Amino acid sequence: MKKLLSGNEALAYGALRAGVKVVSGYPGTPSSEVIASLLEMDLPGTFVEWSTNEKVGFEVAAGASMTGHRALCTMKMSGLNVCYDSLIGVAYSGCPGGLVVFVADDPGVSAGMCEQDTRGFAVMSDMPMLEPCSLQEIYDMTIIAFDLAEKIGGPVFLRLVTNNSQSHGTIEIEEKIKPADSAPMPPYDPAKYTKAGAAICMQQHRDLIERLELSERYIEEHGLNKLALGKKGGLGIVSVGITNGYTSEALDRLAAAGIDISDISTLRLIATVPYAKKKIDSLLENCSKVLIVEELEGYIEKFCYMEAYKNKFDVRFFGKEDGTFSRIGQYDALLVENGIRSALDMPRTDISLAEPPERLCAARPIGFCAGCPHRGTYMGLEKGLNACGYKKTDVFITGDIGCTILGSCPPFDILWTELSMGASIPFAHGVAYSGIPSPVIATIGDSTFFHAGVPGLVNALQHDINMLVVILDNGWTAMTGMQINPGTHQEFQKTNWKQLDIESLVRGIGVKHMWTVDPYDANAMAQATEQALKTEGLKVILARRECAIQAARRKVKYPQITFSPDSCVGCKKCINVTGCPAIELSGKIIAIDGMQCNNCGLCTGVCPTKALRAAG
Amino acid sequence: MNEHFDIYLVGVGGQGILTIADIITLAAVDKGIDVNFFPTKGMAQRGGFVKAQLRLGREPGSYSPSISPGGSDLIVSMELSETLKAVRYGKPGADYVILGQRWQPTAVMLGKAPYPDVDQVIGEIRGAGGVVHYLDPGNMPGEMRGNLYTLGAICAHSKLSEFFSKEDLEKIIADRWKAVAQSNIETFRAGYSAPTRTA
Ligand SMILES: Cc1ncc(C[n+]2csc(CCOP(=O)(O)OP(=O)(O)O)c2C)c(N)n1
Ligand code: SF4
Ligand code: SF4
Repeated sequence: MKKLLSGNEALAYGALRAGVKVVSGYPGTPSSEVIASLLEMDLPGTFVEWSTNEKVGFEVAAGASMTGHRALCTMKMSGLNVCYDSLIGVAYSGCPGGLVVFVADDPGVSAGMCEQDTRGFAVMSDMPMLEPCSLQEIYDMTIIAFDLAEKIGGPVFLRLVTNNSQSHGTIEIEEKIKPADSAPMPPYDPAKYTKAGAAICMQQHRDLIERLELSERYIEEHGLNKLALGKKGGLGIVSVGITNGYTSEALDRLAAAGIDISDISTLRLIATVPYAKKKIDSLLENCSKVLIVEELEGYIEKFCYMEAYKNKFDVRFFGKEDGTFSRIGQYDALLVENGIRSALDMPRTDISLAEPPERLCAARPIGFCAGCPHRGTYMGLEKGLNACGYKKTDVFITGDIGCTILGSCPPFDILWTELSMGASIPFAHGVAYSGIPSPVIATIGDSTFFHAGVPGLVNALQHDINMLVVILDNGWTAMTGMQINPGTHQEFQKTNWKQLDIESLVRGIGVKHMWTVDPYDANAMAQATEQALKTEGLKVILARRECAIQAARRKVKYPQITFSPDSCVGCKKCINVTGCPAIELSGKIIAIDGMQCNNCGLCTGVCPTKALRAAG
Repeated sequence: MNEHFDIYLVGVGGQGILTIADIITLAAVDKGIDVNFFPTKGMAQRGGFVKAQLRLGREPGSYSPSISPGGSDLIVSMELSETLKAVRYGKPGADYVILGQRWQPTAVMLGKAPYPDVDQVIGEIRGAGGVVHYLDPGNMPGEMRGNLYTLGAICAHSKLSEFFSKEDLEKIIADRWKAVAQSNIETFRAGYSAPTRTA
């Protein structure tokens, strides 16, 4: 059956075709739609969940796999950093049920965070990593990944990039297969499932290497890597995953320009790890020049250099080491075409314009949505700092991941750092030890708090750190597209999932000084800030109000604010202080865009002439 | 007729630019033409830069989703200033269908940052060898949806018409939102026959 699907949806359907029993993971662009799409389906016998973080998600999937079921775990590249400790442990132990770890990389950084190449993790953990290119290949390789994982008895990576995970097209899919309802008891096998002792650990290391060799054979037998040898002594091209498409297109472009490409040898790899040693050696033996096309880091390239050295092949390489390609950014067909041209000593295709057209483009910084509760939190925080005699620039405030980080953008400009999920609290803790002449404050969103904020708060509490933690609780994992988290209202939790309450959690671990405020009341937030800064020890402010976008989707209505144009003196204070995109200039006075305004009321609190007034 | 056709679309979140790409995608599926639609949405907030890349009629599996610089046959923009981010991707001779709406960032609104005028944008496109079809947003009736209006103009002024007729696209639009089919078709037709500025 043909279906119009995105790359991530294709992966989800592939997992269903493979009879997956458990799918767990944590949201992160560009990986989120796998679980998001599965949660919309009725899947008897399959468990799908948003886990608290990627480490937890991975461990859940690994547990299911230990009993022989097939399991999938999903995450963005940053998530792999989070779960790696457990992942490498399972890689060494192995697991009987097919365990597939889907990770999405983001070359070119369309979603933020480090531009890292997760293939490095596959190298380090000796785990096979399949890298499909086209949408159909994503579906097909997902099914193969489960089979491969089961054949070798260890976990397998599936790696996509933003480009193909977010693309949509038609894909041929087959009926899903329902997983078994139960499983037998797994064998009691501490030598496999614990790390208790050197002998056990080194045996596991031996087994791990053997599994990688098995996977190399599997890939060879299934013909997943494709070698096409051209003229002896000619040019060879190695590409992998997404760059297979760029390379095909580059060759088409050259052919269209009348260049004879029939002599060129190509090796199209489905995987970087395991290195396709046999096929790479054949290519190097056949060619005098070899171009290696891989985005980000030069893993295959380095392997090729090593093979050429070991086998005394006389090959000239073109890739990152000689500067043909960059380690930064996303590739395209033109870039690859020019790589081939330089390897063939031909003039490059030059499409550069006299001056970059973007120089005239208006800068478009992102900011909070109209009605965003985080706006009120930062407005109130600043007001509270002022009341204590500080300018906002005098105070060290860490930020964290999510919409909450937009407090680092104008007009707030109040957050100093953004590191990784949950880091805001320990980072501030460290700064609090330093003796800088400023109060220390950490800010963190609700999903991020559950993800990795709790250990940092426990640590700060135990060590009695004098700092303020502001938790911005909008009830959703918002920035990644509104996923459910443990704090999401019960009404939106799936079937038997349960809502947890951040306030009880924080009080429960023993935080004595805590204020819960509504960020739409900036004065209440300011007062809580003032009181907190005058209190010694660890303080927590919980600023709680639902994300405006989600509230609007379910048609929550707030009482209407009023605007009296006659009273507006055009001071623009509302615009300068709130930065709300619903406020526009209309001649000398302002106007409210009724399509965007949700009547949060924050602007009414700053209007000096009461032209903007709260309801009632 | 070209066997393949690449389209680069730009705008800001909230304008509905992705819907244009969506409809062309559905039209392609309907006709059995291979299609890859790659949207880049940015964050959850409205008002940020949005782009989409559509590749039609290529051999499945023989390409990747990104269009190379200088590779698009058609550029579509619904925001005047953002048009400039697409110029690098147009082929010489590419059609540029632009609805000149202005979504001014706060700094521009407050007079603290510049915003390009229509002549500057057209000048850049012509410098890249592009063919301009500029729609003045003032001509568009206020109640109409800019994206379907723009799609009408695309159908009238670009070689996309070699792949899909006006009727092909109208059929998809009518099927997509049955309740408002009539007014949507009217919007599409208004864009189809809207006057365009070419220089
Ligand atoms: C380790 C890791 N996993 C996932 C992400 C992706 N991510 C970016 S923002 C975000 C949402 C954070 O939600 P929350 O803390 O509730 O803040 P909100 O966006 O709702 O304000 C996520 C999951 C990431 N950056 N790093
Ligand atoms: S998506 Fe929600 S939390 Fe994020 S900026 Fe918009 S209103 Fe705020
Ligand atoms: S009430 Fe004011 S601050 Fe709130 S959304 Fe409306 S215009 Fe923006």
